[in-house]
Amino acid sequence: MKNEPKSNSVPLAIIVAVLIVVVLGAYWFYNSSKPTSGRANRAANASNSAKTPQPVTTAPLGAQPPNMLGSPNAAVTVEEFADFQCAACASIHQTMKEVQSTYGPRIRFIFRNYPLSIPAHSKAYDAAVAVEAAGLQDRNKFWAMQDQLFTNQLNWTENPNYRQIWADYAQKIGLDVERFQSDIAGRSAKERVDLDLHRGRGLAVDSTPTVFVNGRPVPFKEINTASMRRIIDAEIQNSSARSQSSTVAANSSANTSATAANASGNNK
Amino acid sequence: MSGAEAVAQPSPFAKLPAAAAIVALAGLVDAAYLTVKHYTEEPVPCSLIEGCEMVLTSSYAEFAGVPVAALGAAAYFAAFSLALLAAFGNRVMWTLFGAQAVIMAVVTVWLLYLQAAVIGAFCQFCLISAVTSFTLLILYLVSRLARLK
Repeated sequence: MKNEPKSNSVPLAIIVAVLIVVVLGAYWFYNSSKPTSGRANRAANASNSAKTPQPVTTAPLGAQPPNMLGSPNAAVTVEEFADFQCAACASIHQTMKEVQSTYGPRIRFIFRNYPLSIPAHSKAYDAAVAVEAAGLQDRNKFWAMQDQLFTNQLNWTENPNYRQIWADYAQKIGLDVERFQSDIAGRSAKERVDLDLHRGRGLAVDSTPTVFVNGRPVPFKEINTASMRRIIDAEIQNSSARSQSSTVAANSSANTSATAANASGNNK
Repeated sequence: MSGAEAVAQPSPFAKLPAAAAIVALAGLVDAAYLTVKHYTEEPVPCSLIEGCEMVLTSSYAEFAGVPVAALGAAAYFAAFSLALLAAFGNRVMWTLFGAQAVIMAVVTVWLLYLQAAVIGAFCQFCLISAVTSFTLLILYLVSRLARLK
């Protein structure tokens, strides 16, 4: 470093210039990125995909392990994104329970938290955290708490003492209430909600409930027991047809190899 | 070599503040990029490793409602300013730069810990920032060691 200090005017001019360039550059980059991305575009994509449902192949994984029922190796995955303050989510809750009990280990049912960031759903994020906090004590308690919040949605959404009501639910389903409260305040439950939210955004989820069957979004009007059964049955049939054709191909390949080996042996 | 000639020779370490300013500028560009991506909610390219999105959208991506990337951009801008003033001969600024480089390195260690142990995923642009942050500290320590000799 030089011992003689020079005038500060040159470096200060450079600093101001760099600041202006960085701020203007960031502003330009922000504006040029915004129209081709973000929620608006993803909403448009979602609307397009609703017309011709396509499986989405790349998206963040979401909370790991996911809140899952059924078999992790099932050929059909039903993935629900829901918000605990969403009336439609509460209304399809029973349908989803019926789907789970009908198919059991033949499907993999995954529930994802997707609390919407809208003023009318000001408690939705905290509700998702509360349900995840229940799951931190015992995975089964996640489902019990989820059931409590959906089934009793009208009882807590408009109540200023909703946190006390959740604590009562926690006690009712046999949770350690003190730990439940500290888990709500902690990081782990929030982290899981954030990861689910991010997966939903990656899948262009722009409303709740959104249900995917093997990656294909199910139109809301088809989220009923009859339609869900039809869609899931078709997926199960497709997967068994695929596995049969691959078995046939494998057998055919094995027979060809055996024939070739026999021919080779006969030639000796 | 005579003593007079030795004094006339500029120290090889005299350019360290200028080098630090350039490194800080690189860190500033990286952090500014991540800040913009944070606000546009665009996925960040993740070509070398997996998990960029997990890191950048985790609850640790913000501190008191401010994106960590924006805090990083502010820190790099401050580091750039201090290093540049030091490069123009202001020794006090170089000492302040050293203090800031230490703080930035400590924060970087914490962020690396979060990625490795808590989130379980790494973000390559965060790792670039970690490299620039540690480089700033190394440049400062080298200049200090050179003065001790």
